[in-house]
Amino acid sequence: MTTLLELKEQIIKFYAKYEVYILPVLRFLAALFVLIMINGNVGYMSRLKNPAIVLIVALVCSFLPTNMIIIFAAGFVVLHMYALSIECAIVVLLVFILMFVLYFRFSPKDSMAVLLTPVCFALKIPYAMPLAMGFVGNPMSIISVACGTIVYYILKYVKDNATQLGNLESDSAVTNFKYVVDNIINNKEMILMSIAFAATIILVYMIKRLSIDHSWKIALGVGAVADVLIIFVGDLSLDINANLGATILGTIVSVLLMIVLQFFVFNVDYSRTEYVQFEDDEYYYYVKAIPKISVATPSVKVKRIHSQSAPKRPE
Amino acid sequence: MLNEKRIRLMTKMAAYEENEGKKTISISNYFRGDYISFQVVKGALSATVAFCLVIAMYVYYDLEIFLEDIYKMDIVALLKTVATAYAAILIGYMLISYIVYSYRYTKAKQSLHRYFTQLRELQAMYEKEGRR
Repeated sequence: MTTLLELKEQIIKFYAKYEVYILPVLRFLAALFVLIMINGNVGYMSRLKNPAIVLIVALVCSFLPTNMIIIFAAGFVVLHMYALSIECAIVVLLVFILMFVLYFRFSPKDSMAVLLTPVCFALKIPYAMPLAMGFVGNPMSIISVACGTIVYYILKYVKDNATQLGNLESDSAVTNFKYVVDNIINNKEMILMSIAFAATIILVYMIKRLSIDHSWKIALGVGAVADVLIIFVGDLSLDINANLGATILGTIVSVLLMIVLQFFVFNVDYSRTEYVQFEDDEYYYYVKAIPKISVATPSVKVKRIHSQSAPKRPE
Repeated sequence: MLNEKRIRLMTKMAAYEENEGKKTISISNYFRGDYISFQVVKGALSATVAFCLVIAMYVYYDLEIFLEDIYKMDIVALLKTVATAYAAILIGYMLISYIVYSYRYTKAKQSLHRYFTQLRELQAMYEKEGRR
């Protein structure tokens, strides 16, 4: 435990010192990872699969605001869909526009969840998303996670039926459109997952805020169990036949991941070095303000040399 | 002469202006009513765009049936339904916008309170320096 605490301390120090460089690198890696994942799963436009394009876009993302990754990822997805069939492209584009217009104007911060949810799905640990958003987000995060879930299932549908969609006759555009929309809307698994995730987020969020000891551990446990239970029950009653073993395994991995994140990321104050400039009548000031890191002292363990149960000396 | 105390204060304020303050200061440039009504109008616009998209999608989805039935249909009744749906969505969305943005305005004002205190402190320092 002590080594872990020391490691945490070192990470905080490192971040405070080099935040200016760390953030762009992280953004670059995130963009690269997301784009490679999109290309690997729904890469129908061969030009976009060119590594040079992927690298350039990821580099551009590294110095733009974080939310730009989402815009680029959405653009990539729409273009790939366009290469496959124009109906898919229209549906996906409309879904993206609706999400943007109706919701992300309100909470641009949450939009990362929309990107991360499909990524977690692709990594087989979607259960990490509602748990994480319950910890760091608020009840409104339900919408972001649901949007991410919808995006994932649309893309999954397209991937699974790519040959069929690619061969749709071009002269019956309306029927094709209807066919695509029907199949996307009637996906029971998508609806079940959205509901399960919504319930999990609410549960985790509410329990985490209770003023009891170990509230976050209880929240994590209850959230994970509730998530699995809802998926189980829904699975049986809706006849979905999802892979329940994978659900349990994914949940366990997600819970472990949450424990790690809880220790290193959530609730840790990553204050950073500030570079500010200002002036008064006499001078220009270029100030570099480095935060003083104060680490909580590790709990002291008291060891009793003489035990309570030792026989009393005769008096 | 460098006044270290003042530089420290100014650094803190500049850091606030860079990060959290960027948003709150721009919000506080508006009066409460102006800010909220501006955001509500923007919300109404985006609700309109979204509604048009959904309606277009809906019509396109059933285009063949729609074209066949268009002469038989009771256009007035259809328009009435569409208008009611539009009004409901618009009002609902504007209401949500109103609640969200009035909450944000209050929050921004609270967050700025400390900044304004620092501003007054700074002004006092200047006045003291000027007198000397």
